[in-house]
Amino acid sequence: MHRDVRFLAGLALLALLCGCATTAVQPWERGRLARWDMRWDPDPLQSAMGNHTHFSKEGSSGEIGAAGGGCGCN
Amino acid sequence: MRPRTRFSPSLAALMSAAAALIPEAQAQTATGAESDAHVSYRYNDYSEDAQPAPYGGDPERYHVLSQQFQLATHVGADAALDVSATHEVMSGSSPWYVLPGPGQPIQIMSGATIRDHRNEVRASFTQGTGSSGGTTYSASYSAERDYHATAVGIERSMPLSPALTLGFGGSFSHDLIDPTDAQIYHRVDHEQKNSASLFGSLAFIIDRATVLQTGLQLNSEHGYLSDPYKEAYVGDDILPERRPGRRDQAAWLVRYRHAFSGPDAALHLDYRYAQDSWGVTSHTIESAWYQTLPARWELVPALRYYSQQQARFYAPYFLDPGAHNVYSSDYRLGTFGAFSASLNVRKRVGSWQFSGGLERYHSATGYALGGSDAAVPAVVSYTRLFIGLDYLLQ
Repeated sequence: MHRDVRFLAGLALLALLCGCATTAVQPWERGRLARWDMRWDPDPLQSAMGNHTHFSKEGSSGEIGAAGGGCGCN
Repeated sequence: MRPRTRFSPSLAALMSAAAALIPEAQAQTATGAESDAHVSYRYNDYSEDAQPAPYGGDPERYHVLSQQFQLATHVGADAALDVSATHEVMSGSSPWYVLPGPGQPIQIMSGATIRDHRNEVRASFTQGTGSSGGTTYSASYSAERDYHATAVGIERSMPLSPALTLGFGGSFSHDLIDPTDAQIYHRVDHEQKNSASLFGSLAFIIDRATVLQTGLQLNSEHGYLSDPYKEAYVGDDILPERRPGRRDQAAWLVRYRHAFSGPDAALHLDYRYAQDSWGVTSHTIESAWYQTLPARWELVPALRYYSQQQARFYAPYFLDPGAHNVYSSDYRLGTFGAFSASLNVRKRVGSWQFSGGLERYHSATGYALGGSDAAVPAVVSYTRLFIGLDYLLQ
């Protein structure tokens, strides 16, 4: 398990290094990034329902953000 | 090397003025806080396909009607509050245990139809919604007749540079399990479990139309982690399933967003790799295309693929009773894969937004990456319909 966590951490670090190649985007150039459809999660309610369903019916879970509580869903 | 652009003082002043026109909270959308004020409602109709033969018991599986309510609003100039509630009504039968069959395993379903409901409330308060990052405090409570979960969490968003945002946080959940008909079916009477979770993420602005986020989540569960309603054929006995009392999980996630000017659309690509100390590993790939159409219509087709390998202690049945001290025939711990496709449509009329959608999810052991050796007769397929209504408060 510890070796696997190190592997995942290495992948995350690799992604960080890739990110160093980004180009500077000025605030006035972020119009498209500010759009609703560019959000990480444009419809949080709908995502919550989808995640809840997948959490109930699949063996794995995990998302970026604080995890919620469980349920007795079966 | 690209030549460095030099702006005249007047042009620089004009650009600064244009930048000031972009609301700070919106400019942070792809990197940090995602807040706007609205009231929302969602209605979901979730229906599982009937259990295919061979089976025993009632083949009609779960049907869940869900309603969600949400209020999101600003509090002062630099804080936001989000409160939501969910009410679910569940009915149908559930996979119980598996018997060895002459040709293939026989899935036994719960004989009596299950009827239950679940209520959940969530609240989160975010302090700091501008370019300096923010801290979100959250709490939730979920109640069913036989299951109660209380969770708290905290997460922090912190810009490290104009193009890089760090996120991190953690949560804790305390769950109480009180199965129904415990004495009749020799189930546990009262159990509990605790879950602790940590996560960290980095979000990059790649260019003016592309953002990327990667993150790691670690989760540890202790306590009663079995499903009190699942049993297993062990030797010649039908016994309550028995899982380990601890589970450690790790998940690595990547999210990519790219805006297209030509078709006025945005592409979403998500990937997750997860594994845990029970031996379950999974890959999840999701894609969605957000197409803006004339007259404020929006169409969102999406695809998802999920593949998991089974837990070490999963089997449809256990013929040698002395060979196992933990065992489960729960289909959710078996090897399977699943494809799902969905189509959502949205229409804005003034401050109102109407939405609706359909998702079809189909799973099979043959869809799993690398195939499967053990049968999983209860893999689930479902159809989900939803309608939604939002009112924007600003």
